[in-house]
Amino acid sequence: MSSNPLPVNLSRLGGCTLTGAISVTSHVRDAVTIVHGPKGCSHHNVSLLHASWLDNDHAVLPVLVSTGLSETEVIFGGEEALRRAIAHAAGRDTRAIFVLSTCIVGTIGDDIEAVCSEEYGLPVIPVPTAGFLGGTFQDGMNNALIALAECAGPCRNTGGINIIGEMNLEYEVEENFAEVARLLSLAGLSVNLRFVHDIAYRQLYGIGAAQLNILRSPALIPVGEYLRDRFGTPFIPSFPHGLSDTLSFIGSAAEACGIDGKQAVGEERSRQAELVDGFKDLRHLHASFDPSLSGADEIRAAEELAHALDLSPGTDGHTLLLPVGPAVGTAGIRRMLHRWRRALHA
Amino acid sequence: MKQIALYGKGGIGKSTTSANLSAALSGMNLSIMQIGCDPKRDSTRMLMQGRFIPTVMDLVRVRGEAGVSLSDVVFTGYNGIRCVEAGGPEPGVGCAGRGIIATFQLLEKFGALQGDVIVYDVLGDVVCGGFAMPMREGYAQEIYLVTSGELMSLYAANNICRAVQRLASRVKSKCRLAGVICNARGQPREEELITEFARRVNSTMVQYIPRDHIVQQAEVNQQTVIEFSPDSAQAGYYRSLAERVMENTWMTIPTPLEIDELESLAREFI
Repeated sequence: MSSNPLPVNLSRLGGCTLTGAISVTSHVRDAVTIVHGPKGCSHHNVSLLHASWLDNDHAVLPVLVSTGLSETEVIFGGEEALRRAIAHAAGRDTRAIFVLSTCIVGTIGDDIEAVCSEEYGLPVIPVPTAGFLGGTFQDGMNNALIALAECAGPCRNTGGINIIGEMNLEYEVEENFAEVARLLSLAGLSVNLRFVHDIAYRQLYGIGAAQLNILRSPALIPVGEYLRDRFGTPFIPSFPHGLSDTLSFIGSAAEACGIDGKQAVGEERSRQAELVDGFKDLRHLHASFDPSLSGADEIRAAEELAHALDLSPGTDGHTLLLPVGPAVGTAGIRRMLHRWRRALHA
Repeated sequence: MKQIALYGKGGIGKSTTSANLSAALSGMNLSIMQIGCDPKRDSTRMLMQGRFIPTVMDLVRVRGEAGVSLSDVVFTGYNGIRCVEAGGPEPGVGCAGRGIIATFQLLEKFGALQGDVIVYDVLGDVVCGGFAMPMREGYAQEIYLVTSGELMSLYAANNICRAVQRLASRVKSKCRLAGVICNARGQPREEELITEFARRVNSTMVQYIPRDHIVQQAEVNQQTVIEFSPDSAQAGYYRSLAERVMENTWMTIPTPLEIDELESLAREFI
């Protein structure tokens, strides 16, 4: 009831639950995502997805349908509008429909699950994403991943590895995936399913076939636990960050799949040594990191790399703040080193 | 123009009191408008010969806002009283509070809010911001609580005092508590109890309306008591209420009671 316009909490890290869920569901190529809410909730997200997909040379428009709620539906209830949108989407060439909620339909109490459970001739999957309930972008992702995982049936373990919860909006999403796939291939392991990145709906059925799940980040542990409880698949909680973490990642993945990973780890260790050697010109320069923009894992990885390079933190005014990226694997370290070189020689 | 709103627990007799008050006011040669702010839409029935008039929200739902005009939503009933029902969604869906807000915006757009007195008859509990709309700036400045001596009814009245107190603290708000109307159910010492309750919340009991079977008789004949039996004693109470409302200038910021205070008050008068 306060009319004070000054925001007390300036944090922008939580994000929108709906956007998090859309970043997942829009990557099922042959499904439609319905956003049950006012038009703006989908428009904003279509723009965001379109822009970030273009950055990754993926020049298609996300298939997002809005129920276009107006004040009339808010007053009289929006379930009929949702029913119409689902029926309309079901008439198109689509394999499944995901229904995402918004703040306003959460407020007026539309029973989305009940509407979704009616008969439309194809799977209609509700994902709760009303952001005002306190959820974050990450919660939206997790809710969507779990809702999609529920589509899968029991299946035979045919091996391979699932990549869980890639950050589809990040600039380096393809590079990061390629690096993890490369690290796994060193130990002779291959990817079963990118859950969820540019896949067909029927591929979801095969999620239980993998022998190991690799989560993009520890924030996805609830999803990892869900899949472990349902299919018995163990998980590694994060993509690797930093030199030693990358080596132990290869070791853990191999071990989880019952493979001896020593040789693969050895190969990667020499590759890393060679890489660091190529950046000798950075030695003994003074530098440190800005902790405010990075997570603890990233800072730890950057410090380890600085140590390997003999960079000294420096206490005088000549210390340079180095960029710390969420560098994945050895390839991520290489990119970070190039950025450091640019910063230090600038 | 005087704008008053009647609030109170569901089923306490707000609509009956409002309709009779409007009817009595119209007898004082005043131009009256009554607006029912409840999805149940039965506030103005007794002024309309028992007719459920189309509601603003019904019309908006069917025709869209652009297809609705002033003459579609205002109906002239007993003694020239202009009647409006806000209406709202079916029970259990949507957002009735938003419906009230939309109705007010539309009436404002039409310039419908005019006359000597506007009586707002509002849903029992102020469950959300929408039902506080009639108390906001530009609408009712005088709030009357309708209550009996029953504890639940006093609870509701006390809660409405909280809403008025909160709104009154806003800089531009002119909304004040104008008094308590005792719509008696006939329990012993009821008038004393309501007088004391009104005093404790920093107000006054403006009218005691005894329980009388004639109210039900008028209702089955689809009329207000004023119309059905103008010479009855009950009609006299409603006319007296109308006079006090017109004379009343004592507007206060209420001081709602704590729950245990309210309960011990009710115990005193058992």
